[in-house]
Amino acid sequence: MKNEAVQLPLPGFDTARAEWRSDYNEQLGDPPNPRNRSGIEVKPLYTLADWDPANYMDDLGFPGQLPMTRGIYATMHRGRSWSQRQLIGLGTPEDYNERLKNLIAHGSNAGSLIPCNSVYRGYDGDEVDPLLLGTCGAVVNTVEDMGICYRDIPIGDFSTALNDPSPFTLLALLLCVAKRRGIPWNKITGTSNQSDYISHFVCNHMFFRLALPGARRVLLDHIVFAQKHVPGWNPLSVVGQHMQQGGATPGEAMGLTLSTAIQYANDCVARGLDPDQFLPRFTFFFDISISFFEEIAKFRAGRRVWQRLVRERFGAQNPKAWRFKFHAQTSGVDLTREQPLNNISRVTVQAMAGIFGGLQSLHTDAYDEVLSVPTEKAARIAVATQEILKEEAHLTNVIDPLGGSYYVETLTNEMEAKILEVIERIDQAGGMFAAVETGLVQSMVGDSALAFQERVESGEETIVGVNKNLVADDDQMAREPLKPPSGEVIEAQLMRLKRFKAERNQEAVTRALDDLARAGESVDENVFGKIVEAADANATHGEICHRLREVYGFGEPLIVP
Amino acid sequence: MTGSISGPAVQEQSLVKRMRAGELGALARVITELERLSKSAPQLLEDMAPFLGQAIVVGFTGPPGAGKSTLVNAYIGRLRAENKTVGVIAVDPSSPISGGAILGDRIRMSEHTGDDGVFIRSLASRGHVGGLSPAAVRIIDAMDASGRDVIIVETVGAGQSNIDVAEIADIRVVLSAPGLGDDIQAMKAGILEIADLLVVNKADLPDAERTYRQLQFALSLRRGGGDTSVVKTVATTGGGVDELAAKIAEIATAASRSPAERRRRRARQLLAWAVTDLIDQRIRKEGGPEVDRLCDEILTAELSPIDAARRLLGT
Amino acid sequence: MTSNSDETFPPRVLVTKIGLDGHDRGSRIVAAFLRDAGMEVIYTSPWQEIDRVVRLALEEDVDVIGVSSLATDHLLVPKLMVALEDAGLGHVKVVVGGIVPDDDEADLVDAGVSKVFHPGSARDDIVGEVAALAAKARREREQENAS
Repeated sequence: MKNEAVQLPLPGFDTARAEWRSDYNEQLGDPPNPRNRSGIEVKPLYTLADWDPANYMDDLGFPGQLPMTRGIYATMHRGRSWSQRQLIGLGTPEDYNERLKNLIAHGSNAGSLIPCNSVYRGYDGDEVDPLLLGTCGAVVNTVEDMGICYRDIPIGDFSTALNDPSPFTLLALLLCVAKRRGIPWNKITGTSNQSDYISHFVCNHMFFRLALPGARRVLLDHIVFAQKHVPGWNPLSVVGQHMQQGGATPGEAMGLTLSTAIQYANDCVARGLDPDQFLPRFTFFFDISISFFEEIAKFRAGRRVWQRLVRERFGAQNPKAWRFKFHAQTSGVDLTREQPLNNISRVTVQAMAGIFGGLQSLHTDAYDEVLSVPTEKAARIAVATQEILKEEAHLTNVIDPLGGSYYVETLTNEMEAKILEVIERIDQAGGMFAAVETGLVQSMVGDSALAFQERVESGEETIVGVNKNLVADDDQMAREPLKPPSGEVIEAQLMRLKRFKAERNQEAVTRALDDLARAGESVDENVFGKIVEAADANATHGEICHRLREVYGFGEPLIVP
Repeated sequence: MTGSISGPAVQEQSLVKRMRAGELGALARVITELERLSKSAPQLLEDMAPFLGQAIVVGFTGPPGAGKSTLVNAYIGRLRAENKTVGVIAVDPSSPISGGAILGDRIRMSEHTGDDGVFIRSLASRGHVGGLSPAAVRIIDAMDASGRDVIIVETVGAGQSNIDVAEIADIRVVLSAPGLGDDIQAMKAGILEIADLLVVNKADLPDAERTYRQLQFALSLRRGGGDTSVVKTVATTGGGVDELAAKIAEIATAASRSPAERRRRRARQLLAWAVTDLIDQRIRKEGGPEVDRLCDEILTAELSPIDAARRLLGT
Repeated sequence: MTSNSDETFPPRVLVTKIGLDGHDRGSRIVAAFLRDAGMEVIYTSPWQEIDRVVRLALEEDVDVIGVSSLATDHLLVPKLMVALEDAGLGHVKVVVGGIVPDDDEADLVDAGVSKVFHPGSARDDIVGEVAALAAKARREREQENAS
């Protein structure tokens, strides 16, 4: 935005500014301005010629009030700091249980479960190459496995984020464990972190288990089921993280995510659900890159756009429906393999951007994520980073501390324009569902990924240790790869699965899976309800996924090379 | 290479033999040799001669987004159900800047990857004017000689490249789909002229009927177009693919050409390409007084470009 | 015997993913780099089985296979190396790109992998290495044929 010509009635302003500019140019020779990742030109100085505080009420308002720019709650981090969610997983359910307890002891107040990649793809442990089992997350296939994951952990008092793509078998298993322990489902809180099948279709292909129509149906059934039976559960998390990790710029990622949320909300409305009831349970999940101010502006602008969208497009009256609740994770894309300890600094800056952006929940990456699956030591430092920012640096003392900054407000407006541009483009394409079916979104994301890489290759983007300050790598001590589970441990896990299958009532399993298939083919039954029943009849995760794939087709993402 | 004259010949002959016996690696190798016109190519062609001209060559073409790869995939499935062996040449455009290419067409045919009855080769257009590399003709020959029953040539893009495929295929299938409005305009310009069979894919979309009617209307304007069928398909579910396969078989029977005729037809296209390239090069790069004089006359409207061309070629 | 046309022909590279992970940002970027360097890249969706990779390499007569691995799927690459050798494709060079721990890298090299590219690898290094490997693969195949 070029506002140089704005005439302000502030005495001395123009003269002083002209003087500054001439000093600046004299020393630097009027170099071209850089652009941020979203393509916005960044000037050397911002003043009230760029953002006029007279717009305060229109642009900012107060926390918890429209237009929500300053935060979705009146108290923000003063009242409740963010939940510290660490992604953990590895090996067997026993390993997971042990690490979960360890993290709780070190200050985590909520946990997430990352399953093994075999689980993500919809397989049981006995269907994949054992070499890969438990190397990326926990192998959880049965109610028994899930019970071990949460052994001695009070499920009812603990918020759980399940990385559990459609058809949400892990949630089904968790609900069965709760049921068997006599914990009522209305005590269960947490989020289905990976319910955004559109983002899986576009970017995170590993999570895309059912073909699009099936994924669409099961998501809606899962939202309806949660609304009715697990009211403390957030059944929908729209995942901007995948878009950004896949290569979308921060502005694009926010725009695409909001377009995705519009698609889901439209689908819910078509199902006859009331926006004032389902929207308060929508949550978002974003990536925080190291582009500090850009990320802060992204979150502030996203909040402002969302409240407008839900009010204008869905007529939401319930103030809770206007709240843009989001979890954020520091971006692994920015971390480097070279001098890995530098990543601790990167994660700190990323986390600060998320905190100033007003997040509700935060995951900080371990510095060694780019080397292997994070080690326990690195995961501990990642949690400590959050505590340092909160307790030592006191970042939570002031709400939206960068609000009113000429730069941040200008950038927030500019990011908002970028976001609206993307939403407009997707609207024109017929909405998000249509835009991903034709590959439009895949091409957008792919082009931006390539463009960013070109900036790195040309040196326009600096990455310390990669294209600048190359030094002999002295961080050998940081490279202690985590050992994958031993062959015996995996064998024991597979034996347990075998025994589980042998000892259950096979007839009940068959009946439950047949029931599930019938529900899938019907138009009115709740498929997710049948998934829970099948899990309760001791059907395995893989069996449930396969049965639904028979009905709906295997999830094949659209690859746009 | 040793001094023995018969050495390489024996080896190449055995390569053709191995290829005929169904060894996929041998076929892949023969394709490479012919594609690159390596030193062994003439010998290979000689060894292959008795087996050439047997396969039916079916060209699939149409604008991007029409679902060609998916339809080809479904058609392959249909052919395999009849126990016919298939060769596929999947053509993607080369980058005009670097000459490189990303060949991703076969992604949507991956279900046939494990089937020895289906051999797929990706081919870059390699900057050829018409969009289809002349190498395609030689790859067809290799697949033909290996004993494949049907060879499918799938080309991406609209316009000129589609017309190329017409010249080397025995049967030309042209696809469209709803929502590709502008491309139908482009199709009218040339591609409809060469189609033996038109397909409206994605026929389950709301606009399909409109596309169907547009194509029929366009056909009605074409000389002899009344004989050309329009088939509706839904490649993703296999809908209409039986009818498509039946129509292709019907046309193949009606047009039955001798093996020699089929080959000559492909060679004719090779010749035409070569002549075009040569003349193009002569006019653009070499020029000369005669070319200059003709150009001046075109500019002063004394001559139409086509008359100038006739004069240049002496026809 | 090395024919002249063979050398002027662009390298053919298969860019693929095996195992379970589906993140393809890296493989897409590398495919674009290789294309922009004038190579012909056969690109696949993720989750290719080893048999399929071998079959693709055979049908497409590629010189180099690039396997992208962001999780732990690189652990399967030694099996791929054996399968390539068994199929008579010993001349085809294999490179792995992505997140590979140091210890595993040594295992991959022992199994015959030509090169492991880590995050942050420069485009020119990748392109240069792949081009050199492609030329080497063609020479070796010609020698096999001649012998």
